[in-house]
Amino acid sequence: MTTPQNVPAKRLKREEYRRELQAQQESTDSVIKMPQKKFFRQRAHANPFSDHRLEYPLSPAHMDWSSHYPAFVDPDPTKTTLSGARKLTKDVEVVDIGCGFGGLMVGLAPLLPDTLMVGMEIRTSVLEYLSSRIHALRSQQQRLKAQAEPTEQQPEEELHDDDVGTTKIYPGNFENITAIRSNTMKFLPNFFGHHQLSKIFICFPDPHFKARKHKARIVSESLNTEYAYVLRPGGLLYTITDVEEYHQWVLRHFLHQPEEQLEDGTIPASSKDLFERVSDEELEADPCVRVMKYETEESKKVTRNNGKKFVAVFRRKADPEWPA
Amino acid sequence: MVGLQHPFQCLRYVNRQPAGLSDILVATAGRNLFSLDVTSGQRLDVWPEPVNETSAGETSGATPASEGQGPPEKRRKLSSPAGDEKDAEQDAKPESEAKSKDSKKDSKKEESNSWTNIPLVAVAQSKYVIIMTAEDKCVRVLSLAEDGKLQQLSARTMPKKLSALTLTPDESTILVGDKFGDVYAFPLIPSENYVRSQPQAKAYEPAATNLTVHTKRNLESLEQQMKQAALAKANPEERVALNFEHQLIIGHVSLLTNLISVSRPADSTVGARNYILTADRDEHIRVSRGVPQAHVIEQFCFGHTSFVSSLCVPSWEPKVLVSGGGDDHLLVWDWLENKILQKVQLPESETDLTVSGIWDVSFSPAAGDAASVRTIFVSLEGSAQLLCFSLENGTLALKQTLELCGNVLDLAAIDSKGSIVVSVDTLRQPNSTTVWKSISQPPLETFRVSAGKWAPIEDSSVLKINDEGTSSVPEALEQKKQVELNDAVYGLSKLRKRDGSDD
Repeated sequence: MTTPQNVPAKRLKREEYRRELQAQQESTDSVIKMPQKKFFRQRAHANPFSDHRLEYPLSPAHMDWSSHYPAFVDPDPTKTTLSGARKLTKDVEVVDIGCGFGGLMVGLAPLLPDTLMVGMEIRTSVLEYLSSRIHALRSQQQRLKAQAEPTEQQPEEELHDDDVGTTKIYPGNFENITAIRSNTMKFLPNFFGHHQLSKIFICFPDPHFKARKHKARIVSESLNTEYAYVLRPGGLLYTITDVEEYHQWVLRHFLHQPEEQLEDGTIPASSKDLFERVSDEELEADPCVRVMKYETEESKKVTRNNGKKFVAVFRRKADPEWPA
Repeated sequence: MVGLQHPFQCLRYVNRQPAGLSDILVATAGRNLFSLDVTSGQRLDVWPEPVNETSAGETSGATPASEGQGPPEKRRKLSSPAGDEKDAEQDAKPESEAKSKDSKKDSKKEESNSWTNIPLVAVAQSKYVIIMTAEDKCVRVLSLAEDGKLQQLSARTMPKKLSALTLTPDESTILVGDKFGDVYAFPLIPSENYVRSQPQAKAYEPAATNLTVHTKRNLESLEQQMKQAALAKANPEERVALNFEHQLIIGHVSLLTNLISVSRPADSTVGARNYILTADRDEHIRVSRGVPQAHVIEQFCFGHTSFVSSLCVPSWEPKVLVSGGGDDHLLVWDWLENKILQKVQLPESETDLTVSGIWDVSFSPAAGDAASVRTIFVSLEGSAQLLCFSLENGTLALKQTLELCGNVLDLAAIDSKGSIVVSVDTLRQPNSTTVWKSISQPPLETFRVSAGKWAPIEDSSVLKINDEGTSSVPEALEQKKQVELNDAVYGLSKLRKRDGSDD
């Protein structure tokens, strides 16, 4: 531990930067600048089993989304959640589990401008970056909209992450995305009700290489029952990883394996009955897959390092009939 | 009764009247399981058989399979033709092999030290007793013979310590929940034809490659892993736990605190359905379908603001759930609809309250007094009070509070007598979880409804059980051992969250 007299220069710089950013966000007269990632980097791992100091709603019906999506607040102030907050005109439908710096959220926002999406991340610094980024994106979009009539904007080409959204008006103006700190392995059902979601993204999850740590993986047969609970039948769960062994793990935990078959030819029922894999042809046509493969921070890093990317998408099937 | 004695940690009543047999009370105290005759109060059997120094050599000689294995198994005839015996032997083998491996590492581990208490008990089909011995994480199925004798049929070692144990409504499948949030199902009697899957001979290979890790330090550790993998190929190790037929059916990423299986009777729209209700340290109560569809989550019951420890679906109102834990109130639910019907404040207390048990007790008029009895009993951890509630149409009402001579640990309804027996703490002072008594008090108290109120009664058979006592606690126990014994009985309040770190 460093003593107050002995704080590393890097941390001082970081703190100063964040204070300035905070001040800037609170003032209303200037347009907010994009935050810079380098001041928000954080260790890539968090222990999903510890308590942390997490805030989470008592139930989905208590969740206050109004501050997250101000553009979607129901105009009728009498409509309130169980916690007394204003309701939205629509439900959140898309979740990015472990959203990191939010590349996927920002990439998807203009593709699905009328769909509410949330990125969930357990690491505080990273989340702070994404929240600032969304705040700044919305502010920049407001500025662009306020400027003289849309002078045909040049399409943004090969922009640095930090400059996306500063020169062109995007559909939805990033009003449909937000970020929340949470441990989804414990509290996903506190945020979303039965069959509420249409898409879940799990992009480049922490691979937890050691066998002893596999229980901490975000994909497992038992966690998949919770994804099935919040995902509506027909909804999609997207996964991408650069670790081939993890990809095999994902396939193993979502799909029945030949060795599961018992002597009498039956396969024991499990959460694998609730999912089916989506065909490659269908993925070709899905723009979300392109965003996932090329626009997230991690996917760019993998591309830079000439790594491989393994995609698997699963469709939620209907619940089985109750046994007679 | 001399010196200090262990309290009865768990009590279960076994109604054997339909089979024309006398009723039995099954109880655990210390490392022992007792079977007691309800009518006479006579002790029918103690398991494991007390190790008697003169016969110790003989015992191990008679059953070489159990040598070095934790539990000194009951002696049995070697020529016994019973099919059950075979199971026991089959199951005992891998474990004993494992233990002998362990014992090489730790030769101090003695037979009698393999566990100190039996915190979980269930009874199936009135003729099997299922227990979990604490330290060795072993689920043991014993047969309860007509004469009340206990004999171990199988021992299955779990990977983690269990916090809940129950059965499916048909009482043929054991359901257990562990402290890592996993729920497993396995057959009460292991099937004969199960082929134990051979531990995969697949060699360990690091999942990372130089395409996925890049920094200098990560690359170095990858190199180390490669070396380790090469070493591991040379001497493969086996894993012993779960080396039997089982299925992982539910998983919470939290400490699982309780698990009950519920049958919801048919109504106008749907037929009878089975459910599994699980509770965890993160305030959740989860409603899943029963086996074999336990992977379908039907509902979550949201409302607790601290850990949940106790779940009770009363037999007379199966659509209602009463739950409690670290909150200072109970919640009454329509559990399939996630609807809170009532919030019931518990009596004021200076310290944090922890609900340690909720029991539903009902007697039909024939067995008890003129009127039928329906009571929900609630105990609090480290409290000598027993709260008695009525439950009608989803509404709980506190009717009376019973004061006992020691902290309430467990409760069993004796259907044949229309009474309840309550096990109380024999070692610690009433309303304390740490201050020890100098002399033990009787382990059981009995109550019965008279004139609409629960009142203590004298029951000659219970007096006899009390006279005979349980198993003794060694005198002059060191402080550390005392604390261990305290923790074995009073562990719930430790589940309360403190301010966690923020990493």
